[in-house]
Amino acid sequence: MNSVESQVMVILGARPREARHLLAILQEIQAAFRYLPKEALLIVAGALGISAARVFSVAGFYKALSFTPKGERLLTVCQGTACHLRGSGKLIESLQSRLGFKIGQSSSDGRLGLESVNCLGACALAPVATVDGAVHGHLTPEKALELI
Amino acid sequence: MLLKDQAGLEALRSGLIAGPKPTRRLWVCGGPGCLASGAAKIQEALVREAKGQGLNFEIEFRADLTGCLGLCEKGPLVGVEPEGFLLEKVALADCPELVFETLRHGRPIERLLAARDRFKSHPFYQPQVRQITRRFGQTVPGSLTDYLKTGGYKALGLALTTLSPAEVSLMVERSDLRGRGGGGFPAGRKWASCRLAPGSVKYVLANGDEGDPGAFMNRSLMEGDPFSVIEGMTLGAYAVGASKGFIYVRHEYPLSVERLNRAIQSAEKSGLLGRNILGGSFGFSLEIVEGGGAFVCGESSALMASVEGREGQPRVKYVRSTEKGLWEAPTLLQNVETWANVPLIVENGHEWFKGQGTSQNPGTKVFCLVGQVRRSGLVEMPLGSAIRKLVFDVGGGTGAGRSFKAVQIGGPSGGCLPDSALDLPLDFDNLSSAGAIMGSGGLIVMDDLSCMVDVARYFTGFLMGESCGKCSPCREGLTLLYRILDALCQGRGRSGDTQKLKKLATLLSKTALCGLGQSAANPLLSTLRYFEAEYLEHENEGFCRAGRCQGLFWPRIDQELCSGCGLCRKACPAQAISGQKNKPHKIDLANCLSCGACLSVCRFGAAKAARKDS
Amino acid sequence: MPHTLPKVTGTIDGLKFEVSPGTTLLEAAKTLGITIPTLCHHPGLPPDGNCRLCLVESGKKLLPSCVFPLRESGGAFSTQSPMVFEARAFVVTLLLSRAPKDKNLLKLAEVYGAQADPLLSDGEDGCLRCARCVRACRAGGSEAIALIGRSRERKVAGPFFEPPIDCVGCLACARSCPTGVIAFGEEPRSIWGRDFDLVKCPRCGRPIGTPEELKRAGLTDPLCPDCRRREFSASLLELPEASFTGY
Repeated sequence: MNSVESQVMVILGARPREARHLLAILQEIQAAFRYLPKEALLIVAGALGISAARVFSVAGFYKALSFTPKGERLLTVCQGTACHLRGSGKLIESLQSRLGFKIGQSSSDGRLGLESVNCLGACALAPVATVDGAVHGHLTPEKALELI
Repeated sequence: MLLKDQAGLEALRSGLIAGPKPTRRLWVCGGPGCLASGAAKIQEALVREAKGQGLNFEIEFRADLTGCLGLCEKGPLVGVEPEGFLLEKVALADCPELVFETLRHGRPIERLLAARDRFKSHPFYQPQVRQITRRFGQTVPGSLTDYLKTGGYKALGLALTTLSPAEVSLMVERSDLRGRGGGGFPAGRKWASCRLAPGSVKYVLANGDEGDPGAFMNRSLMEGDPFSVIEGMTLGAYAVGASKGFIYVRHEYPLSVERLNRAIQSAEKSGLLGRNILGGSFGFSLEIVEGGGAFVCGESSALMASVEGREGQPRVKYVRSTEKGLWEAPTLLQNVETWANVPLIVENGHEWFKGQGTSQNPGTKVFCLVGQVRRSGLVEMPLGSAIRKLVFDVGGGTGAGRSFKAVQIGGPSGGCLPDSALDLPLDFDNLSSAGAIMGSGGLIVMDDLSCMVDVARYFTGFLMGESCGKCSPCREGLTLLYRILDALCQGRGRSGDTQKLKKLATLLSKTALCGLGQSAANPLLSTLRYFEAEYLEHENEGFCRAGRCQGLFWPRIDQELCSGCGLCRKACPAQAISGQKNKPHKIDLANCLSCGACLSVCRFGAAKAARKDS
Repeated sequence: MPHTLPKVTGTIDGLKFEVSPGTTLLEAAKTLGITIPTLCHHPGLPPDGNCRLCLVESGKKLLPSCVFPLRESGGAFSTQSPMVFEARAFVVTLLLSRAPKDKNLLKLAEVYGAQADPLLSDGEDGCLRCARCVRACRAGGSEAIALIGRSRERKVAGPFFEPPIDCVGCLACARSCPTGVIAFGEEPRSIWGRDFDLVKCPRCGRPIGTPEELKRAGLTDPLCPDCRRREFSASLLELPEASFTGY
């Protein structure tokens, strides 16, 4: 067994092989590889007894899942309403131009990814962003770049 | 320990209440906002410091994280028990003093003191009625011990020993509780329908897929008092005859998943979930399903598809999910806040529940008050309170130099209401006739620097990206609406665009397949209804009065109002503003980018947006 | 005695209908000779109600007639009201942005006075996202293609945007497509970027289907329908006592 296969087998072994766990399984694969390798999805389809098309359509529907690798470290800027009113749009524009890549993309070495999220629920501190899951508030482009 | 019956439960509770009580306790707010401002580190530092100062920690003195204390803007917050002080903006450097002065001696630190007794004297808390959020600031979230000490599982013990399933259902039916997640559908009707639906397999389901931007009440609840949701669902399962339940939690809320899972495990260990609950024949198990980052999954049929492991696509259906829901079995689906109301109703009775709120809208509602307001945070008020009370009494109105323009209520399916609607009672029916919805209870205050065309563009763009793409009106129509709005905000609007938007938005709401699609035009329709003039200014004059749409205004400094504070001069990215300290400043339009930075920093309302040709 | 449920009655455009409970509004209209335009609807496939062209008015609300089940008597529906007309024009306008040259759509556009909006001109790929192909594939027993993604990016594709591994080459998707945008070859057989062999009838040499298709259908006896019928009737004659011998 190669490494993708063995890791996927571990993930599959953690719960009953029922189609209802498809989303949870895909999320764990995403966490393990930072994307969904084709090979992994085919193994999942076989193990759950569902078509590759169904696995692919679920994988393509949810924003938390991705077919291309996400950056090792993620800077996720909130685009919630409160953040929008307090300038998250300009924050994103500035970050994109300074980093040289856009929301949803990663740096060429794959080290840093820039993402957006609809709301982090920390609206009182708008505009906010997370770096590897930790929330930071009252951000300016300078402060955001310092975090990474 | 495994509880075998109600008597055992009550004995345990009395024992816990009579047990040793710390002399003084610091409650560090563990709400989303305070966690983002470093509350967890503050709590750790307090523990370390207290041990370092040789306090009899964990027995006489304690410092714990608790549920959201509410005043998120001023976080990290620390509550002090028993005195009731509320300390704001606590920094790591304050911790030694906080332990010595406050924890040890019960003296507040004046510079951090927001209120001596927050519920009596602080304007943010004084008008509130904290029922659903009552354990925030009193318990460690997910601690079964704390939950029991504060009356937790009284309702379940009562129900399993003295009430039949039908009687429990009847209590909820008579309480007139309305669903807290959207349009306020009578919860009791769902309960009765699901209870009476034939079928040996039934499910209860909680919607914790809080996708509205600017809303975090469900998160605060799942993280601040997870047991209340679990107990509510257990009561629901008993009433309708379900033995399995799911809580669908938004992907972006990993802490909610963690706290709920921990609570489920300790309830299982104590015999409060699982096969023979409190030693009886009723069994119920609960599982967390984590969402995948799709707003549409808040819609009931899409949520169920997602729980089944499919794409979150809404289905056209003319059968109620209480008859045919998850895997075609009768399913009782409610928002997590609706579930959290259930133990209160069962314990205190439906008459008690109707003591808060209005006759058609009983009970309280948790709101998120955010945006351009002085005090933003988590607020719980009786339903039917005037919007003005929330925005101005609790929230303190808009910031210095700014005036109130609108309040957006109900998230992307909601609407923007103007000042003429401020005296409207906040309840399901009044909001919907005014063109908004209660939604899950997000209130976003907007001041005169918010452009209503931009706000409509923002929500339409949000929904365009979140549309599941199944039906043509939502999939193609939202893109069309967005592009018209975008053109207006960039000064490329065409004559007749405002009328066209009105027509298309109305058609979208009539033709879309699911509830989300049908309400997707609400932000647009409500801003058109109350702020049409702003649309027409964009369309006909290329003018944005809010100074938000770049290039559609010139900033002007009112020489009478300018104090010469220099904030605008520092904020201007083009160095187009000049002036001496304490003397009125001036803008050199030749260098001005028309970005609006000066408008948003001015605290005196002196920097204003003017028409380009003026 | 079989238990028969009482019929459901009501009116469509003022004409009275009487149908069994559960009959869709679209079917009820058909019994009265009323035509409602449809697109995602296909009589041989499970209804989906996604295109919204077949909307019908009932008490200020619009209902998708292809999926709306008639259960209660007394309903009055209109397929011709100004609201219905406007709604259909709206839907046709939006769908035109995908297939501006489709003949059927252009005909509808003429009826409802709809025009493609230039603001949506960047999505013209001929596909209406009606999912008839996906439903046809599933109805045939496969799940080779699916609608992938959401919002306006959603499109029909095989897994990983590659030629679908589970495709049997039956062409049901292409044949059910209302705009005929799915490219395929009958002989030699090809579709979705895949080429298929064709099994030929050993008697007449006519192609019967792809090996994958026959395998899915569980057919071990590869004769074309005509030759099978002929063989069957011949086999009847060969049976003893097949001729009139009883006299």
